[in-house]
Amino acid sequence: MRALLIVLATVVAHAQPVVAPTPQTAGSPRGDNAGPYNITNSWEVGYRFRDVDGNTGKYRSDVNFGNGVRLLGGTLGVTSRDGKGKWLDELLLDVRGLGNDPYQFSSFRVQKNALYRYDLLWRSNEYFNPALPIAGGDHFLSTNRQMQDHDLTLLPQSKLKFRVGYSRNTQGGPGLWTGQWFDGRGDEYSYFANIRRNQDEYRLGGDLQIGRVKLSITRGWELFKDDTNFNRDMLTPGANTTDRNTLSLLRRDEPLHGKTPYWRAHLLAELSKQFTIHGRFTHSDGRRDFIYDEFARGTDRLGAGRNRQTLLTGAGRRPVTTGHATLTWIPNNKVTVANQTGFHQTRMEGDGKYSEINNGSAGIAFAQFQFLGIRNISNTSEASWQPVKQAGVFGSYHYAERRIRSNEQEDFEIPRGTVPIEQINRNKAGIFGARLTPVAPLRILFSAEVGRNDRPFYPTGDKNYEAYTARASWRQKKFDLSTDFKSFNNANSTSLYVHSSTGRTWGATTGFTPRANVRIDAGYNYLHLDTLTGLAYFADFELVESNRSYYVSNLHALHAGVQAQVRKKVDLYAGFVRTQDRGDGRSAAPDMQPLFTAAQVFPISYASPLARVSLQVRANLRANFGWQYYDYAEKFASAQNYAAHTGYVSVSYSF
Amino acid sequence: MGLRLLATAGVISCWTLAAQTPAASDSPFAGSNGCRPCHPAQALQFFRNPHFKTTVANGATRENMGCEACHGAGKKHIAAAGGRVTIPNAFSLMQPNQVLDACLRCHSKDVNRANIRRSSHTQANVVCTSCHSIHQPGSARNLLAAKQADVCYGCHSDVRAQFSQPFKHRVNEGFMTCSDCHNPHGVNSGVSKTGHRPRMVETGLQNEQPCMKCHTDKRGPFLFEHAAVRVDGCESCHSPHGSTNARLLKRPVVFTVCLECHNGSGSFGRQADGIPTQSASHNMADPRYRNCTTCHVRVHGSNADRRFLR
Repeated sequence: MRALLIVLATVVAHAQPVVAPTPQTAGSPRGDNAGPYNITNSWEVGYRFRDVDGNTGKYRSDVNFGNGVRLLGGTLGVTSRDGKGKWLDELLLDVRGLGNDPYQFSSFRVQKNALYRYDLLWRSNEYFNPALPIAGGDHFLSTNRQMQDHDLTLLPQSKLKFRVGYSRNTQGGPGLWTGQWFDGRGDEYSYFANIRRNQDEYRLGGDLQIGRVKLSITRGWELFKDDTNFNRDMLTPGANTTDRNTLSLLRRDEPLHGKTPYWRAHLLAELSKQFTIHGRFTHSDGRRDFIYDEFARGTDRLGAGRNRQTLLTGAGRRPVTTGHATLTWIPNNKVTVANQTGFHQTRMEGDGKYSEINNGSAGIAFAQFQFLGIRNISNTSEASWQPVKQAGVFGSYHYAERRIRSNEQEDFEIPRGTVPIEQINRNKAGIFGARLTPVAPLRILFSAEVGRNDRPFYPTGDKNYEAYTARASWRQKKFDLSTDFKSFNNANSTSLYVHSSTGRTWGATTGFTPRANVRIDAGYNYLHLDTLTGLAYFADFELVESNRSYYVSNLHALHAGVQAQVRKKVDLYAGFVRTQDRGDGRSAAPDMQPLFTAAQVFPISYASPLARVSLQVRANLRANFGWQYYDYAEKFASAQNYAAHTGYVSVSYSF
Repeated sequence: MGLRLLATAGVISCWTLAAQTPAASDSPFAGSNGCRPCHPAQALQFFRNPHFKTTVANGATRENMGCEACHGAGKKHIAAAGGRVTIPNAFSLMQPNQVLDACLRCHSKDVNRANIRRSSHTQANVVCTSCHSIHQPGSARNLLAAKQADVCYGCHSDVRAQFSQPFKHRVNEGFMTCSDCHNPHGVNSGVSKTGHRPRMVETGLQNEQPCMKCHTDKRGPFLFEHAAVRVDGCESCHSPHGSTNARLLKRPVVFTVCLECHNGSGSFGRQADGIPTQSASHNMADPRYRNCTTCHVRVHGSNADRRFLR
């Protein structure tokens, strides 16, 4: 039995793109009995290493695994064998990467049948991104984000249950920002940011079932604080060394605090086996109060001394109301008909008072105001028919009407009685699809969507679009093969400019289990995208309207993996992942004059082979070793290229 | 070998049990103990299964308890000494909509499954047992057949390729899961977007895109909103799964992301008279001006400047 479970665990695990933690666990999957409980556990402790050659910043942006001792992974399960534990019936703990991995994760559940259930999810991410293509790398971020979600349900199996929840999301760490001071044609400077953001969310709710009617209500409060401050205390000439613009001192505080209380209500009424009504209503009332206090000192581009103090106070508000009503009719086991009407309204409004004192003018003070309203009403009718076991069809029609009203002002008084500009966008889309199962292992799916949007909001948005999907799979115990194709075409045109987008993806994956202890996986995907968009811009004070932005990406992605178990003692895995964007096939960087005539391409290759050995030393002890190599290479430049060896040595132990 | 012996012993026990079943009882239900002799692997591990709690629930009726809650009344099956056709609900023989009906008998009460009948998965005959394995789960918590990403990649191979790119959300690394952003059981129709797509994307706190669940600083509300973000969402500029471009942008350089919309054409934009081009002082022949976000640093929304300069 144990052997069977181990083999099953091995075979189910697919190719794993990250080398550690080891998927195999120590100890018996059946666990050990301790009193009324059964306990399973496995803990993997090890040392990670890395050796990076090339751009370490880019490596940290893409991969970021470092050196050091880690609790690479761990599981603990405590389960009552009769379901009648005194304080708990189940306790589950999963951890990953604890210690100092850039991606850490822990989930915890404890529950007593029919009495309570508590879930905790904790995550931490070390984010590092120099992002050289963005502002020349001056929008660098090195932050830690931690998220935790607590959910407690009382009487989880009863018809009346209560829910309490709390979530926290924090982000902190250093960053770089950029900006301009004293002159719109002046210089750009980078400055430091001490990022301090956190969001707390409290939830309270309950579910009630009376007969066939289920009602769920949640009341929540989100509290957000951003106390990031910015500074720059040294004299530097900025990015443009040919002018005399300088920034010698910058201090900025812009605390932003706000609250979003919300209501959510669901009503599900199963009037009969054939007829169901579902209603959903939500309302949230977001608000952010802000103060912007800045002092800057330096010289303008002509060399004159400048200092400027800016103070801005105000608030942004965004009440959002949504409602959905869904009717589902299932006249028999071959037909399903559904209709959903949705309503969504967002009102964004804010006002602020801006005042500025500087030594170049007497001072400026004015009020700012904006309003942006979005109201969207949609209706979707769907039907599915399965006349015979081997074949079925489905289709839907979707209609949406969106009204956008907008008003944005900067004035010396808050404008009164101004009429917002209004526009209406309508979208009509139809979907048709068919599913076939000619023989049991073979499944085929085809669907097509054709949509027409009479007035998209922006030039690259969906206007006249068609999306096609085809998928076929053959699945048997020892062998599976699936292939899929997707195509998306969009044409968005006006009298002068045209945006067209063509995306196609094609892929095939296969898995083969020739023996109970061997599994082979492989796959290939081709992702193509080309877009053509009209541009208008100024070059040397001349308006250029004749150019197009043409972007081409031809991405080939390959993965393969082999896993094997030798004598029930040794688990081996070897895998390979390679992604290559070939652009449009050219071998040299595009000529940038004239600006956008040449197609934009960004050919790169990114490959990562890996290998892992897990050796069962004793029933409750495993020794694990792994290596993973990363190779990132850009074709037209090498500043961001890197090659990195990473790996780990660990033991997995079960007590 | 041990398993074969166990199974053989189980079949013999079944026969014995069938012979011992009181003929006077009219109930078609045999109770979970009747299944145990022939299905020892499932029975031995069933106490770990979330469905085990049905066997100890106070006041539960026999059709809602243990094995028969899902598989139906088992007395005929025992009397016939096994065989799949005698199981009322043999999931391997059932049609997808029958599987859905069987599971939703209990699981429809959770509101996050309220749209399951009209979801894209159901339309494609992808139902509960396509992703969940009740007796051989890859995770104890939600009984998925394997790690969540692997379950999803099984059909969505193009998404797997997107997450294999250098810039990506950390799904493969275990920091995130597909269900952080998607609800595989179906979602309500779009919110501020008019289109039908992308499908199965869950909404965030203010019914906006799920990106704001984590990227809280981008949510606002701001005094000056970048309207494209609020109206059509983050993927106006970003490819959320993965990209070869920094910050998951749709283009390798920032200025084409901006200029493809800011071209003044047509009736686009919040003022419905074309999205403004940059002013003549922006000399695009000078590479300095091709880094739009060097100066327009608050492109997601600003409280201090309508041009997002600070």
